[in-house]
Formats: sequence, structure tokens, C-alpha cells
Amino acid sequence: MNWPDLSMGGYGFYVWGSYLVSLIAIVWEVVSLRQRKKALTQQQQSSKSVSAPVLRGSINETTS
Amino acid sequence: MLRWIVWRDLMLAWRRRADMLSTVFFFVLVVSLFPLGIGPETQLLRTIAPGVVWVAALLASMLSLGRLFANDYQDGTLEQLLLTPQPLFLVVLGKTLAHWIVAELPLVLIAPLVGVQFDLRSETLWILFVSLLVGTPVLSLIGSVGAALTLGLRGGGVLISLLVLPLYIPALIFGAGAVEASVMGTSPSAHLSLLGAFAIVSLLFSPWATAAALRISLE
Amino acid sequence: MNIYKYASPASFYPVAGKLIPWFAIPAALLFATGFFIGFFIAPTDFQQGDAYRIIFIHVPAAWMGMLLYMLMAFYAGIGWAFNARLSSMMASSIAITGAMFTAISLITGALWGKPTWGTWWVWDARMTSTLILLFLYIGFISLQAAIDDPRRADRAGAVLALVGVINVPIIYFSVQWWNTLHQGATIRLLQKPTIRGSMLAALLIMLAACWLYSVAAVLIRLRCIILEREQNASRFAEVGV
Repeated sequence: MNWPDLSMGGYGFYVWGSYLVSLIAIVWEVVSLRQRKKALTQQQQSSKSVSAPVLRGSINETTS
Repeated sequence: MLRWIVWRDLMLAWRRRADMLSTVFFFVLVVSLFPLGIGPETQLLRTIAPGVVWVAALLASMLSLGRLFANDYQDGTLEQLLLTPQPLFLVVLGKTLAHWIVAELPLVLIAPLVGVQFDLRSETLWILFVSLLVGTPVLSLIGSVGAALTLGLRGGGVLISLLVLPLYIPALIFGAGAVEASVMGTSPSAHLSLLGAFAIVSLLFSPWATAAALRISLE
Repeated sequence: MNIYKYASPASFYPVAGKLIPWFAIPAALLFATGFFIGFFIAPTDFQQGDAYRIIFIHVPAAWMGMLLYMLMAFYAGIGWAFNARLSSMMASSIAITGAMFTAISLITGALWGKPTWGTWWVWDARMTSTLILLFLYIGFISLQAAIDDPRRADRAGAVLALVGVINVPIIYFSVQWWNTLHQGATIRLLQKPTIRGSMLAALLIMLAACWLYSVAAVLIRLRCIILEREQNASRFAEVGV
């Protein structure tokens, strides 16, 4: 194992830039999916009284 | 049946001649914009001419595609055509052929004239004509799939462009490439053969895909 | 076990939920491992210096972009042919993840091109084909976004995806052709460095990580899509439409 040259031989901007961009993309995808899910489950909760179908494993499920 | 469809569409298009002319004017206008944007240097213009003329042809095709099914869809004729015992494949083929005659053929005919603006020699103008003659059916055929998929949707012409322009790229490469080969002095036969092959493949598969797309859009 | 029981969106929903951590956690671990091997063990390349380390994310992203498009077309086709809603939902879910990976591969490709060949963008066959692939994804996503009726959106998307998949080899071939014609005096671009053992290991591990991540992301999105559609369906049922 050898410690990498952090400046990447002068190419640091490109190498770290690439990984940063990829990381941002992945984080964006995960975060936006979470927000979407949260909005949906909140919506389902509020309309719970209007007999929405209960999906097993979803937040509406009351049986154990 | 095929003849009837083609004839009917041609008659309808003739009643709206202005549409046909506006496509041609758009084509000529777009081609003329490039020298204005880039500069009048002849050598440069000769080099960019194949690409410019071909891209302008693509864009002009895109504009006319909306009309392929829209009018029949709006007055209910399209639904009736779907109900006929004739195979939908033939109906689509007929309408596409009519569309090609009305929207693309004028472009093919006027292209050599437009090519003169770029100081192309007569042999190159001939290749330009031939490449568009062989290539524009592809534009109509593949375009018909896009037109059928986007029937009645908001977003109109831009949406069709998004769907169809990437699929046009092989035709663009081979077609413009043929003209460019002629500009360079080499033989365009390989390009034209590939373009022809692509056209034949489109002819065999597109009407079928368009028919399927029409059924999906209309049910 | 009757797997067809899980073909309905409602019954697959909890299964998807249970599966997600089994893909997300190994994905994170493999990303870490791949990164470690790629940066701490793989040696510096003779020709490209340390800049070559971008391939550990660029190449897997490019491959995922292609694989996911094929998968998307497959699921869309199945959903259309067998009228299987869940299959179509899978296709719609895959589209965004696939587009994202394709975009990543384009951006990292540009970042790789600048230090190695001096320009941000190079019109070589592979980068150009990847760009066109992104256009195909955008077309699919736009079409589905423009159609309100979910079943029409599913089927229209299927036609578009299948037409796209058939065209992909044609497009790739024509771009290759175009590129070799215009190459001129330039040397073969985007030449990968000679891959040595540890580099290959890092590459494959990162690919596996991207694959597992994709499965997890697609399943999460699938659950969202299922919720959205079932909610709309139930609302219509109440009103009596």
C-alpha cells in the first residue's frame, strides 16, 4: 500500500473534481428520492381516513 | 387502399398549400443564416455546406411532422382509419408517403439551388440532391413514429424533436458524409449505400412501430 | 413459492422495501473498497500520471449508462407485451438512474480529457455515442412526463425505448464511421492505460458498486412510483370514476 500523492501529480482538480461530481450526483439522487417518499407517505397519512389501500410494509399498516 | 390514402392526403395538403411553402421557406432561411453567422469565406462555406444543408433539412422535417396525424386526429378521421379492416401498416405507409411528397420532396428539389450559395460544384450539387432523395424518406418514416407517440400531447414540436432527432443521427452522418466526400473529391458511394440500407431498414420497421404507437395513443 | 404473486405492485412494494438495504449497504462498502484499491494500491500510470485514476468512476458509469438503457427497454417491452404494470414501473424507475450515470460519465470524461489531451470535449466515437445515449434517455423521460394517463405513458415509453434499443447499434456504428473518417492526423484518443492487476480489480469492484447502488436506487424510486399510482387509483375509485 502506498500513500497517494494528494495533488495527483498536478491533476488534482480533475481527479478530485470527477469524484466530487459523482458524489454530488449520487447524494442528490438519494436525497431527492427520500423527499419524494416522505411527501408521498405524508399525503397518504392525511388521506388515511378516506380508505386508501394499505400497502404492506408502508407507514399505514396497523396490523403487526 | 394505399393509393387512396396517398391521394386523399395529397388533396388535403394541396388545400393548405401555404404549409408546404412555409416548410421550404424555413429550410432556405435556416441555410442562409449560417453564412451570416460564420462569414462569407468560400473555402469555409464549402466545407460546412453538407452539414448545414442536412441539419436544416432535419429541422424543417421536424416542423412538418406535427401535421402528419394531427389534423386527422382532431376531426376524428384517425380513429375511423384505425377501425377499417385494412392493415394499419398500409394506412401509415400511405400517410407517410404523402407526407414525404408534400413536406420533403420540395426540400430535395430546392437543395441544389441552396447549395449554390455555398459555391459547390455541380457534381457535388448532384450528390447533395441524391443524398437528400435517399435520406428524406428516413426522416419521414422515423418521424412518423415520433408523431404517433406524441399525438395530442402538449409540448408539441419540441417534444417530437427530443424524441426523433437522436434517431436521425445515422442518416445525418451518412447523408452529409456523402456530400462531404464529394466536396473532398473522394467517392460518396459507400456513404450512399449505407444511407440506402438505413432507408430500407426504416421502411421495413417504422410503419409497424408507428401503427403500434397510434393504437397506444388512441385507445 | 409462487413468484407471480409478486407481479402486482401492491405485493412487491414490501418486498422491495426489504431488499433495499441488502443492496445499499454492500454498495457503500464496495465503493469504499474500490476507492481504496484505486487510490492506495494501484500504481501511478507511466503515460498519464495520476490523472488516469478518473477511469475508476468514468468507465463504470459509462457501462452502467448502457446496461441500464438495455434493462429499461427490456422491462418496458415486457410491461407492454404482457400488460404488466410493475414491469413498466421498473422501466420508468430505471430511466433516471441510467440518465444520471450517463451524465456522470460525460462529465468525468470531460474532466479526464482536459489534462490528458488538452480539450474539455473530444468528439471521439465513445464520448459522442454516450452523448447520444443521454439524448435517448431524455427523450424517454420527457415523453413519459408529457403523458398524463399512466398506462399510455408506459406503452408509449416502451415503443420509444425499443426503437431506441434497435437504433443504438446503428448509431454506434455510424458514429464510429464518422469518427474514423474525420480522424486526420490525431492519434487514437481516449486510450486507456495498460491495465495492471490492481487497476482491473479496482475497476471491477467500482462497477459492482455502481450496479448494486443502481438496484437500490431503482427499488427506492419504484416504491415511490407504486405509491403515487396506487394513490391516484384509490382516489378515482372513491369518486366513482
